[in-house]
Amino acid sequence: MLRETGYVIAAIGLMVASVAHANQNQLELQQNPEYWATQLGNYQGNRFSELDQINRDNVGELRSVWQFSTGVLRGHEGGPLYVGDGRLYIHTPFPNKVFALDLEDEGRVVWSYEPDQDSRVIPVMCCDTVNRGLAYADGRLFLGQADNTLIALDAESGELLWEVSNGDHTVGETNTMSPLVVGDKVLIGISGGEYGIRGHLTAYDVETGEQVWRGYSTGPDDEVLIDPDSTTMLGEPIGEADLGVSTWPEGEWERGGGAPWGWITYDPELDLVYYGTGNPGTWNPEQRTKDGEPADNKWAITVFARDPDDGSVKWVYQKVPFDEWDYDGVNENQLIDIEYEGEQRKGLAIIDRTGFGFLLDRETGELLVAEKFAPETNWADDYDMETGRPNVNEEYSTYRQGVNVNTTDICPTAMGAKNMQPSAYSPRTGLIYAGINRICMNYEPFEAEYVAGQPYVGATLTMMPAPTQNGGMEGRMGSFIAWDPVAGETVWEIDERFAVWSGALATAGDLAFYGTLEGHVKAVDIESGEELWRFKTPSGIIGNVNTFMHEGKQYVAVLSGVGGWAGIGLAAGLEEPEEGLGAVSAFSALGDYTKLGGVLTVFALPD
Amino acid sequence: MTLFARACRAILTLFVALLALGLVQVGLADEHRITGDDPGAFIVEDGKVDPDTYEGYLVYTRVCMSCHGPDGLGSSFAPNLIRAVEKRGWENFAGTIASGREVQPGQVMPSFADDPNVMGNIPKLYSYLRARGEGGLGRGRPDIIESMQEEDEQGDAEGGGDEEPDAEEAEAAEEANAE
Repeated sequence: MLRETGYVIAAIGLMVASVAHANQNQLELQQNPEYWATQLGNYQGNRFSELDQINRDNVGELRSVWQFSTGVLRGHEGGPLYVGDGRLYIHTPFPNKVFALDLEDEGRVVWSYEPDQDSRVIPVMCCDTVNRGLAYADGRLFLGQADNTLIALDAESGELLWEVSNGDHTVGETNTMSPLVVGDKVLIGISGGEYGIRGHLTAYDVETGEQVWRGYSTGPDDEVLIDPDSTTMLGEPIGEADLGVSTWPEGEWERGGGAPWGWITYDPELDLVYYGTGNPGTWNPEQRTKDGEPADNKWAITVFARDPDDGSVKWVYQKVPFDEWDYDGVNENQLIDIEYEGEQRKGLAIIDRTGFGFLLDRETGELLVAEKFAPETNWADDYDMETGRPNVNEEYSTYRQGVNVNTTDICPTAMGAKNMQPSAYSPRTGLIYAGINRICMNYEPFEAEYVAGQPYVGATLTMMPAPTQNGGMEGRMGSFIAWDPVAGETVWEIDERFAVWSGALATAGDLAFYGTLEGHVKAVDIESGEELWRFKTPSGIIGNVNTFMHEGKQYVAVLSGVGGWAGIGLAAGLEEPEEGLGAVSAFSALGDYTKLGGVLTVFALPD
Repeated sequence: MTLFARACRAILTLFVALLALGLVQVGLADEHRITGDDPGAFIVEDGKVDPDTYEGYLVYTRVCMSCHGPDGLGSSFAPNLIRAVEKRGWENFAGTIASGREVQPGQVMPSFADDPNVMGNIPKLYSYLRARGEGGLGRGRPDIIESMQEEDEQGDAEGGGDEEPDAEEAEAAEEANAE
């Protein structure tokens, strides 16, 4: 009774707040260290919590207080939101159920919502029917459904407030990403880079769902929202018009991918949103050449800095011009304030698909650092810091090796040295903590024909574990690393049997948390990487570890439920074709360790 | 020609003919074959395969692997197809590819009826998956049996496929005619 009264008061409080500062609600919530109000913890994407009730002295006593089965078998990415109302808000993969769970009553279902979606969307989702979670602001929850419907729900009741279509699954457009609320707009991208779609980021009005702007990833400047005189590239105006058209063979930009399906971050002071675009359509580079020569295929695999009010592009940085490996450039852009060569800089750090750790200036888009965090990376030797372009290693150039030629032992794999699993950044240590993949590939391009709604892939790939280096664990396919984004160096590293596909968490309790594909949640000493605690959840973890405080008690919560590209690629295990039979057993099959099933586990210290 | 030689010749001819009909499994340790006109014929010899089975591997890797995992082994998203082929047989296999299947809410196999690359290659896919199961073919990309490589290239040059069983039949017929 008392608690319900509390909810009413809280709700009134929220309503008052929403009248006074309608466009600041999300920012206020995320500044309260007790809440976890947005998927990445804050707009900067730091996944850092100031909470220290759970710390390295007592984390060994951390135990599960309750668990909740979502009833859905697919890969569970993303994590729970907590905005101070005594509930956890969670979501599931397709059919994209939403649950409001009573935190104090062992996860009792306060309300649930299940959209009605065409099941034909399922097979169009290339790498499992995952969803990276809800967004929240002003008493509303936002969800991007698999079928591209963006919905707003009343957080109090679960009632549908509005819905809008952001794409068409019958042509291969789908959605897996978490929307982001910035001011009075909710931003969302799209998936379907393997179906020849044309990627875009779109802003909708939080109140009505009305479309405000859309910025495409490819095509003419007026549709990408670029002004070649003012939009900069490496600190200089782009100059030339319509590079999103002219860097493609005739018309190929129309199916040029560049799908932004990862995370969006936001700098409230500069008032810029940052996100990366995906691979340039077909994986066969030959079909993206112009006059028989490699072409940049802009603006695929590009970091965009846009004004959230009108979508106009402040700067761009193309990480991989003319992709030959499916190095989908969607990884999160961590906004970090750092000292670089004796100066305070507003930095933007990326633990990228390519195996390179980038540091850029987020005001200007200048490239400051590009160093390998995955030492096996061999597709490029390094980056030319003047041009911002990679020095590609001919031996691993799938274009130079040719169509219908199997280019072997390329590192990293198309999965990337890191995929969607969001990293964490601790301002106390200045380090980024990330789960990474140690997997290489053979890649064979073939001629792909575009048919709307059918896969437009154009390459086959097979994967194998990365060669062991520096005494790394034999047979490991992943690591959890602490990365110095300014020095461009790994500070410590924990090897794991499988790719680490879960989102990391860093806390002021001197802890870093992550999950493993076998299903362990682990807490490690943030200084040394020493493991301090682990708990085995019922299934592999590809979700993110989140933390929050309710009524004076700190909780840690995570969704388990294996799946995603990791589940597809690793379920049966990888083989090292050149090795004898003995090596095979070292590269274990994920299917021997875990099976499907979504469960939320909530942890706390004993009373 | 002596009577003995004639007899040997006749036995050999019979053997080759039976082989062509798929009624004899050659007893070499590393050789498995199912031949004949029915879908699913394959030859696996020392880890190498006939050209159609090889094509089946390529089609599998291009189209099926993204859901069903590497080498037909299944994934967290879709089932093992080596076992599915053993259990369900040709008609069910081909029918599922053409029509799709909704296994349960959230688990859906699409129809490939509109994809000529798939529809034209279902027998080769079937051969590859049977070779992986009954044929004991290992993981990864197989090589083509050397003696069949040339035939394959000739076949490609002539724009024809399926010359493998035909070649054996022709050989058997030639032997018979020699009498």
